[in-house]
Amino acid sequence: MSTATTNQVAKESFGSKDSKLSVLGFFMALPPILVLGTFIGLPIGLAFFLSLGYTGGLNEVISIIGQDVRARDGKLFTLQAYQDVIKDPRFLGDLRTTLLVSLFATILVLFFSIGIGLIQRLRGGKLSSLLTALSLTPLFIPVVISAWALYTFYGGAGLYQTLLKSFGFDVPQITSTVVAIVIGSVWTSLPFAILMITSGFQSIPNALIEAAQDAGAGIVTIIRTVMLPLAFIPIVIVATFTSIGVMGSFTIPFFLGPNQPTMFGVEITNFFTAYNRPQQSIVMAFIVFLAASGIAVMYIWANFRSAKESGRV
Amino acid sequence: MSQQNEIGLELKGLSKVLGGRVIIDNLDLQVKKGEMVSLLGPSGCGKTTTLRMIAGFLIPDNGTVTLAGKDVTTIGPEKRPSAMVFQNYALWPHMTVFKNVAYPLKVRKVNKAEIEKRVHDVLGVVNLMHHKDSRPAQISGGEQQRVALARALVQEPDILLLDEPLSNLDAKLRVKVREDIRDLQRRLGITTVIVTHDQDEALSISDRIAVMKEGKIEQFSTPEDIYNKPATEYVANFIGSLNRYEGSYSNGQISTGSDVVGVRPEDVTFDSKNSAGAVEATVSLVVPRGHFHEVYLKAQ
Amino acid sequence: MANEVQPLNLHTKSWSVKIILAIFSILMLILVVGPLVWLAVHAFATEWKFPSYKPTGLTLEWFRKVFEVQALKEAMKSSFIISPIVVLVSAVICLPAAYASARYNYWGRRTFLIMMFSANAFPKIGLFATIATLYYFLNLMGTIVGVIIVQVLGTIIYMTWIPAAAFASVPKNLEEAARDAGASKFRVFRTITLRMAMPGILVAMVMSFIYAFDEAQGTFLVGAPNIYTMPTAMYAIVETYPIQVTAVFSILLTIPSVLLIGLARKHIIGGQLAEGFQIK
Repeated sequence: MSTATTNQVAKESFGSKDSKLSVLGFFMALPPILVLGTFIGLPIGLAFFLSLGYTGGLNEVISIIGQDVRARDGKLFTLQAYQDVIKDPRFLGDLRTTLLVSLFATILVLFFSIGIGLIQRLRGGKLSSLLTALSLTPLFIPVVISAWALYTFYGGAGLYQTLLKSFGFDVPQITSTVVAIVIGSVWTSLPFAILMITSGFQSIPNALIEAAQDAGAGIVTIIRTVMLPLAFIPIVIVATFTSIGVMGSFTIPFFLGPNQPTMFGVEITNFFTAYNRPQQSIVMAFIVFLAASGIAVMYIWANFRSAKESGRV
Repeated sequence: MSQQNEIGLELKGLSKVLGGRVIIDNLDLQVKKGEMVSLLGPSGCGKTTTLRMIAGFLIPDNGTVTLAGKDVTTIGPEKRPSAMVFQNYALWPHMTVFKNVAYPLKVRKVNKAEIEKRVHDVLGVVNLMHHKDSRPAQISGGEQQRVALARALVQEPDILLLDEPLSNLDAKLRVKVREDIRDLQRRLGITTVIVTHDQDEALSISDRIAVMKEGKIEQFSTPEDIYNKPATEYVANFIGSLNRYEGSYSNGQISTGSDVVGVRPEDVTFDSKNSAGAVEATVSLVVPRGHFHEVYLKAQ
Repeated sequence: MANEVQPLNLHTKSWSVKIILAIFSILMLILVVGPLVWLAVHAFATEWKFPSYKPTGLTLEWFRKVFEVQALKEAMKSSFIISPIVVLVSAVICLPAAYASARYNYWGRRTFLIMMFSANAFPKIGLFATIATLYYFLNLMGTIVGVIIVQVLGTIIYMTWIPAAAFASVPKNLEEAARDAGASKFRVFRTITLRMAMPGILVAMVMSFIYAFDEAQGTFLVGAPNIYTMPTAMYAIVETYPIQVTAVFSILLTIPSVLLIGLARKHIIGGQLAEGFQIK
């Protein structure tokens, strides 16, 4: 973002001016990294090796409990677990569902949050405050409840069907379809997106908008050439966090989605608990992680690009 | 030539209420074509509000704004033939200097070759060609100021509006930039309204000054008049320093009376106590101010 | 005067725009609030027959019923014990780190920040599946400690990033002025830095509490069948109890978040949250 204050904050927090390296600072920053290293980094590392067929050491217990565990049997590694997953007839359907749901949910979330953000920034007033407050409601609601509420709303005896029926429409219900997953994902992702994007738009000084107006630009041009570029970072943050979040979600597709094909979040859980095939579920987690990292790289790139633009680096 | 063509800007009966407070109260102002006029006053006097109504960012509750003979009172800023230089310059941080300046032409769909030419011309005028590919964050405050000026000038506006254009520059640069602006304005003959709270600035660059107080114009006249013949005590006090007497003035004498007499410090002379009209005083403080001294006197 | 924020004067064709905005708002209202109201109303319904817009009768019976079920009472108890512990543990681990990344430049600083982000990029559900390996080895499966750790993992990003931005926005010269006035380093930290960063820390704590209180996937994988919190109990009760019971339980589960967010609303909307999500 580009306001004077954020730049100032950035400069101070980056501490580029006192470039002296602090030992105390390093040790203060260590605990969360250690926790993450132990309980995220280590398991991911172990899981990675398990997915390649390393069944000994720390992986021993899970290899004994699980079914269909492919061991490397003296070879350097084996990709059999990956082959199991990819050759599974469900794989392609799951992959397509996961990617499409993430894509559509992200597009819709961006559309609504940018829309509401623009209304609030450019028009202000009671209506826009109401809209913002409304769209923040899901923030109060645990995901399990949201999923269940959406299920009852769109489900067989829900208001959605009741309304359609009273207008004489007899349509198939949308619960247990991909459409319901998208609706649920948008519903749960919207509050964070709105917070990020409204604060991004709010931090654009009036003068920058007025200068464009003074230069002869109409409202659409102002939005396109000034407001959206200046809110670029929050928009990228929303896009990455939403798509990554949706991609790895479980509760929403579990309650609202179809049984087959479904999203990887559900499939990972099924393989892990119901089918007791931990190695295959880990393989799927890595496939999702791969997609998520691609998106994460975009996020990091955008952050550095903006740092460069505002002269911070 | 009709009279109307000679008027660059006319405000008639302008009023504006903001947040329940009367900010501008029935204000009239006529600026001649090619003239440079300052709106001068303390903060809160309504000078910025007036400027924003001229630019179109605010719509007056009452009254009319006429620019170059055209009533623009309710027209949006994007359609007015005015261009503004903002107090903090309002340069877009995501665009280079060139793109900032080219923006007004681009949104008006001027063709590429002409944009190139006009932007180069105007960047030459403000002497910034070497920075055309820099970003606003990479250049100094003075340079940013010139970019903002270039962005306004490239539109070839009928009227140029400057909102406290020098307030973010250091003292030395301020004097230089204000002379540059004045020089440029004369050369281009562009009608200009400048908002300032700095009397030196107003006195040194304006053809005429409108001194404002509480949403009204107290006096609108040349710098010489404003300084030497202030219309009200408020104007006299706001511009320069003043020795204030209660009494009446006649024939170089101040005698008891109910009026107020103001004497500029530089008009005070030292003499023996027997001269006509003399006031007996002792020196209480002498402050050296470089090429002159400020002497504080206490009347006996 | 010059600094007073004035509304933008953007000319819009007022009627068409107003109608579009009105439709947009009504749509948002139905889509966002509709499902919640629909579910909440069920908590007071004796029975509800499709396709009717209203229940057959009203009752408070279901509330009594929820408190009669031993498993649900247990779940509520463990939720209210575990969540505060998670917030405290997370604060102790993360706040010094947040301060460090705001005020010091240390070796590996940027790497740390990126690592923290990538940890968040790994799909949660996959992570919980991988964590099992380690949990089996450390005997943490089905234990309170195991559940607490799983929940702490998700709060770390809130607890470091948001307070870091808050610490960074405390102007250094305010600290220097206090030092100049004779305050000790610790006193400056306590009375100036910490106080000014408090809104950010508060937002981080609220977000962490809500995260911990609402976390279902990890808690379910690690805690079930020994430990159920309110959200994981939901998975089970939607299948076994009538919709009215789940509606009552949903209302109970939502109350803490509503209260807490109401408390910190000003700061959350004020941008403390958004500030925290940029790599600096």
